[in-house]
Parts: sequence; C-alpha cells; structure tokens
Amino acid sequence: MVDLAMTAGTAAMSRPAALHAPVDYNEEVVRKFMIASMFWAIIAFTVGLYLALELTWPDFNLGYSFTNFGRLRPVHTSAAIFAFGGSMLFGTGMHVVQRTCRARLFGGTALANFVFWGYQFFIVMAALSYVMGFSQSREYAEPEWHLDLWLTVIWVLFGVIFVGTLLKRQEPHIYVANWFYLAFIITVAVLHIGNNLAVPVSFFGAKSYSAFSGVQDAMIQWWYGHNAVGFFLTAGFLGMMYYFIPKAADRPIFSYRLSIVHFWSLIFLYIWAGPHHLHYTSLPDWTQTLGMAFSIMLWMPSWGGMINGLMTLSGAWDKLRTNPGLRFSVTAVGFYGMATFEGPVMSIRTVNSLSHYTDWGIGHVHSGALGWVAFICFGAMYYLIPVLWKREAMYSQRLMSWHYWIATLGIVFYISALWVSGIMQGLMWRAYDSFGFLQYSFVESVVAVHPYYIIRMIGGLFFLAGAIMMAFNMFMTIRGPAARPAGLPAGALMAGE
Amino acid sequence: MKHEPGNVIVGAMMVPMGLFGLLIASRAMDSEMALFGASLTAFAAIFGFSLIKRHYDQLDAAKQEHAEHG
Repeated sequence: MVDLAMTAGTAAMSRPAALHAPVDYNEEVVRKFMIASMFWAIIAFTVGLYLALELTWPDFNLGYSFTNFGRLRPVHTSAAIFAFGGSMLFGTGMHVVQRTCRARLFGGTALANFVFWGYQFFIVMAALSYVMGFSQSREYAEPEWHLDLWLTVIWVLFGVIFVGTLLKRQEPHIYVANWFYLAFIITVAVLHIGNNLAVPVSFFGAKSYSAFSGVQDAMIQWWYGHNAVGFFLTAGFLGMMYYFIPKAADRPIFSYRLSIVHFWSLIFLYIWAGPHHLHYTSLPDWTQTLGMAFSIMLWMPSWGGMINGLMTLSGAWDKLRTNPGLRFSVTAVGFYGMATFEGPVMSIRTVNSLSHYTDWGIGHVHSGALGWVAFICFGAMYYLIPVLWKREAMYSQRLMSWHYWIATLGIVFYISALWVSGIMQGLMWRAYDSFGFLQYSFVESVVAVHPYYIIRMIGGLFFLAGAIMMAFNMFMTIRGPAARPAGLPAGALMAGE
Repeated sequence: MKHEPGNVIVGAMMVPMGLFGLLIASRAMDSEMALFGASLTAFAAIFGFSLIKRHYDQLDAAKQEHAEHG
C-alpha cells in the first residue's frame, strides 16, 4: 500500500504542470487567516509578556479583576494556541488541501468565509468571557458550554470543507500532509466534544458543571489536554512541515515511506499518553504506568518525523544561509526533536516527582510552543505571504534574519531560565534537614526564582520584538507592488502538487 | 459570474442564527450570555449583509467586464 502511495506520489510529481487545467483556488480565505494569525501572534506574545511581568513583580496585577493573572493566563494560552496556531492551521490546511488535490475548496466561498469569521468570533468571545471571569476551569478548554457548542459547529464545517475538497480532488493520491491535517481535524473534534460534556445550569446561563467527577474528570481532562498537544500542536503542524519544508527547500521529502510510518505510529501512540499528567494522584497506578510507557514509546515516531524533516534538506543545506524562512522551519524541526525528547523524560514517574508543578513544565511547554509551533508557523508564513499576494519575495530579507536571531535568542533565554528555576524549585521543595524537617519554606523558593523570572521576561520581550518585525515585514510586502508572474511558485512540484 | 449555491444556504442560515442570538440576549441570566447573544445577532447581521454586498459587487464587476470586452 505504501509502495502504491509512493508510486502515485511520484507519478503526480513527475507529471508536467502544464498538462493540468488551471484551478481557481480560494486564496482569499487563506490570506485572511494569515493576517489574523499574525495579529493574534502579537496579542498572544504581548499578553504573555505582561503575565511574565506580573509573575516577576506582582504589583503589575494592578488590583483589577480583569488584569489578574488568573483571568489573563487563559487569554494568553488561548491566543497563542487557538488564535495564532489555530488560524495558521486552518489557513495552511485550506491552502495545502487545495494545492495538493488540485481542487477549489468544497462548499463555496461563503462557507469558507463563515468558517473564518466564525472562528475569529469564537476567539474574541472566549477572550472576553475569560476577562469577565467566566471559565469552566479546564486547562486549554476554559470556554463555557455555549462557546464550546459554537466552536463545534465551526470545527465540523471546517472538516466538511476539508474532506469535501479531498473527495473532489483531481490527483489520485492524497499527499501525506493532508493525512496529518485530517487527523488534527477529526481527533480534536472528538477530544473537544468528549472533554466538554457538561450540564448547563440554565439554557440562558453561562455556568455549567462537568458530566464527570473526581479522578475520572481529571483523566478526561488530561486525555484531552495531552492530545490537544498531540493532535492540535503536533499533528497539524507536522502537516505544515511536510508541505512547506519541501516547498521552501525545493526538494521532495527525504522518505515518503517514513512519513507514512511516522503518521500511523504517532496517531496510535499519542492518544494513550495523557495519564502521565496525573502521576502520584488517585488515578490507578497501572493507568499512570500505561501513560508513562506510551509517552516513552512516542519518542521513536517523533524522532522519525524529525529526521525525515531534517534530511529533506539533503543537498540543500546551503539554502539555510540565504533563506531565513527555511531557517525558521528547520530550527522548528530541531526544537520539535528536543521537546519530544524532553517530554518522554519528564513523563517518567521518578523524573516527574521532581519536575511536576515546577517551572520546568512551563519551560518545556514553551520550547515546544515557541521553538516548534511558532517557528514552523513563521517559516510557513514567510513562504506563503509572497505566494498568496503574488510578490517576488518578502519586503526585507534582513528583517527576516533579524527576526530569526532575536526570536532564537529569546527562546534560549526563556527555556534555560526556566530549566534552572524549575529544577531548583523541585530540589528546594523536597530538601530535608538532618532532623527530617523541610529545609526551605515555600516563600524561600519563590524568592530564589525571582532572577530567572526576569530572564524569562527578557526572553519573551525578544520574542515579541521579533514578531513585531515580522508583522511590519508582512505589511510592507502586502503593500508592495505585485511582481510574481502568474503560474506555480518555486518548488511547486515538490510537495505532492 | 460564477454562482455558488452554498452562498445562498449560508446566507439563509444567518436569519435563524440572528434571531437565536436575540432570544439568548433577551432572556440571559448573566452578563456573559447577554454579551454572547447580542454579539451573535450582530455577527449574523453583519455577515449576512456582507454576503449581499459581495453578490452585488460581483454582479457590477461582471457587467463592467462585459461592457469592456463585449
């Protein structure tokens, strides 16, 4: 089957583009998603920086309910994951499925626009509900039941558009990037519906109570939470990797066979890993061990995918010197490898006893969110913006380089500071003196991490500065004259087109 | 000009959606539901009108193209 797929893929790639009738792609909605994604990136990073200030100097809470850390924290996480990352996934998913299937989006222009504006509506409504104090207190699933229902409608319609486009494709083969996007769409829908099953107090009131209770509720939450990482923040962005790295490098994927193995093994293993978030809780011991074992096994497919992404650069490594967009994508794959090594290590129960509840967890999440997710998005955007707006290249290559280096430095500051502060916290909390008493009070550990919180804040400031440079570069590119001749962009034949 | 039947279906859906928003806003038990209901109505109205505007803009563009190129 794999051989057949490879043959079909090779045949599709070797067919001259001129034999195909031109397809009137819906690029308008993809452009909207790119602009929205850039906008939400700035918002997410700004709120993140403000939260870092609050953690460093609590006076920045300002005494208002709506500037309180507890209310702003979900604004930051939702803006980063669902608004910035989600808009990128929707936008690139719609671009990739059209291009690799040689078919216009299914369902018409109005449906695609409804999905775009409906998703933005969800993001704004969710953010407003957080600052107003409404939350169902489930991490990464804070919106109350009415917003969950709205998101379900939007998500299903996105799925209809995506699957409908796949069904009317003019290419015999479904390119591997689409499989990752499809897994993202289907699994996140199942996770979202399962985790948000709740009983509202009234049809006209926002408050609801979870359908689950006790340890089952915690298990459902982390089945959702970890697979939000696996299928939203990993599978979808791997789809991006499998399309945009071959495009930008002008090389086919290193091994199409490995990409299929990567897909099925990742999909099979990820769904079991959630219990590692509940080590040393009332969750049954065997369930914790199951989660730990599957998390360790996950290392293999993750690194298989990383190797496939990196080796795609074989014979084209010199392009990293001249193409900062590709540099973002390749560095993202490096961070993906690093985060997917660190994750299994942290899931081991004995390591988890040190790392859990400390800043190490936040550092780990950000090496994935900034290094993998944001960087793969930046790489895809730097490729897509000139393509979508028919420009020769981005307005400034130098700004792209500046963005790359300042963002990389920001990540290094951020994660290294939180490694140190996290491990220090863990060690301080478990230290006993010769009489068997705890050696440190909690507040001593808070004071000890203060310098590292300043370094973390500086890292966040660097990352935000880079994103502002990118937004300016994007604005100037869009405002500039159209120069790209009609037809396929460079690398068009490389990723299933 | 290319007619897409999906546009009419999506446009028609804005009517019940807007009315549903009004119902929620009028009977809301808290500020969150009041805001959501009112915003849903505004969303449906603006999206519906934008579909109508887009339709007539496309008609005008098609007429202009026809006049220019025969």
